[in-house]
Amino acid sequence: MTNLMPLILEHLMIVLIAAFIAVFIGVSLGILSYWVRYLDKAILWTAEIIQTIPNLALLAMLMIIFGLGNVTIIAGLVLYALLPIIRNTYIGLESVPSHLKDAARGMGMSRLQRLMKVEMPLSFPLVFSGIKLAVVNSLSIAVMGVLIGAGGLGYPIYRGIQTGSVERILTGAIPVVLMALILDYLMSKVEKRLVHKGTRG
Amino acid sequence: MKRRIKLISVVLALALAVVSFSGCGKDTIVIGSKDFGESVVLGEMFAQLIEKNTEIKVTRKLNMGGTFVCFEAIKNGDIDIYPEYTGTGLTAQLKMDVVGDPDEAYRIVAEEFDKQFEITWLQPLGFNNTYTLAVTSDVYEQYGVETYSDLVKISENLVFGAEHEFFDRQDGYDGLVAFYGMKFKGEPKKMNTALKYQAIGNGDMDVTDAFATDGPIKQYNLKVLEDDKGFFPPYYAAPIIRNETLEEHPELSGLLNQLSGLLDDEAMTELNYLVDVEGKSVEETARDFLTEQGLI
Repeated sequence: MTNLMPLILEHLMIVLIAAFIAVFIGVSLGILSYWVRYLDKAILWTAEIIQTIPNLALLAMLMIIFGLGNVTIIAGLVLYALLPIIRNTYIGLESVPSHLKDAARGMGMSRLQRLMKVEMPLSFPLVFSGIKLAVVNSLSIAVMGVLIGAGGLGYPIYRGIQTGSVERILTGAIPVVLMALILDYLMSKVEKRLVHKGTRG
Repeated sequence: MKRRIKLISVVLALALAVVSFSGCGKDTIVIGSKDFGESVVLGEMFAQLIEKNTEIKVTRKLNMGGTFVCFEAIKNGDIDIYPEYTGTGLTAQLKMDVVGDPDEAYRIVAEEFDKQFEITWLQPLGFNNTYTLAVTSDVYEQYGVETYSDLVKISENLVFGAEHEFFDRQDGYDGLVAFYGMKFKGEPKKMNTALKYQAIGNGDMDVTDAFATDGPIKQYNLKVLEDDKGFFPPYYAAPIIRNETLEEHPELSGLLNQLSGLLDDEAMTELNYLVDVEGKSVEETARDFLTEQGLI
């Protein structure tokens, strides 16, 4: 398979763009539900409900709004990635020991300062594991993109299913698994370095 | 920290640019297809025919999730051309009653699509990929069924299974059993199109719907029955194209109409067999056929 590389790159690109957007929205919503108490249930429930919509149904609905192609699958991935990110951000912030929050308040830090200097660094490992989960999930959901005209590794996989060719299915599936392993490994590395730096500083 | 943010935004911007630009551009047309072998092969054939004979760039969106996705996409202008079937256009899209006469069916869809959706039906390719029913060779040997009417008498002993779409269509399961008075054993099984033949091959069901030109009919040694009372409408395949695209590129109509009549049932079944059963690549199958016909 000489023409597999562009498919792999497009697949990866779709997942990474979705991940960046999902991190931005997810972490913001996580912080919002931590700050604004009466919003937390609404936000988490909404994310949970989105998570339970079957993939193809969600993609078909998004297609009516975003049209065919990569934008739609990216939007779908973002929606599916929100729950683990929001939830982990929220739980991470909640679980910062209260004496540390009090100490920060006692030092006269503003709410934003407390968030950036104390609460976020301490909840970082949890937030990051939420992101990791979301990215790895996205890699496999992105396969469905082909059904709404997006690129990536879905084409060889679906054609393989249709022709009953295990070889073709694997041609598409193995790169997905490898990417998942590699991304997981790289992100764990980054996580260790950042956490290390966080506790040192 | 600032530098990192800058780096990330540059990467993100680049990535967005790459993704959004793949498929844009003035002189590009987008060809779609549904998610089964025949549709993908036809889509690929249209694409190669246009690429080899014109300056137009072609983006392929092959193997999309069924009739609904393709039809929404062409209405929205996300795709310009895809292969559709007269019977599907009539019942699934126009929500009209079944018309038995093939020429009449074509005339109606061509007229209504132009009026309602600004989409043109080009000339039919030749084959009639109608729905039909197929039974396993075991059932055939045991009961000697030849026609749908024969099937009615023994239907209570047989398990029926089909892809999801067949249960949602007017010309599908409900209409069929009501029309012939069939009563199959238990609840019908519903599954993905691609897994249907495997399921009947494994003996999970005895009767399934099939397209007359499906490759795997031969592979699994299935017996196709005769629709003796004429329930299923004709399904002649033709390229359909947005009127807007046709105005920009009037030469496309003549180009794609060269395919008209070239693909009879036998020729299409053969191509489907090559792709679905023998595993020949779609690109190669389409190219070989077009070369053989002297079109590229």
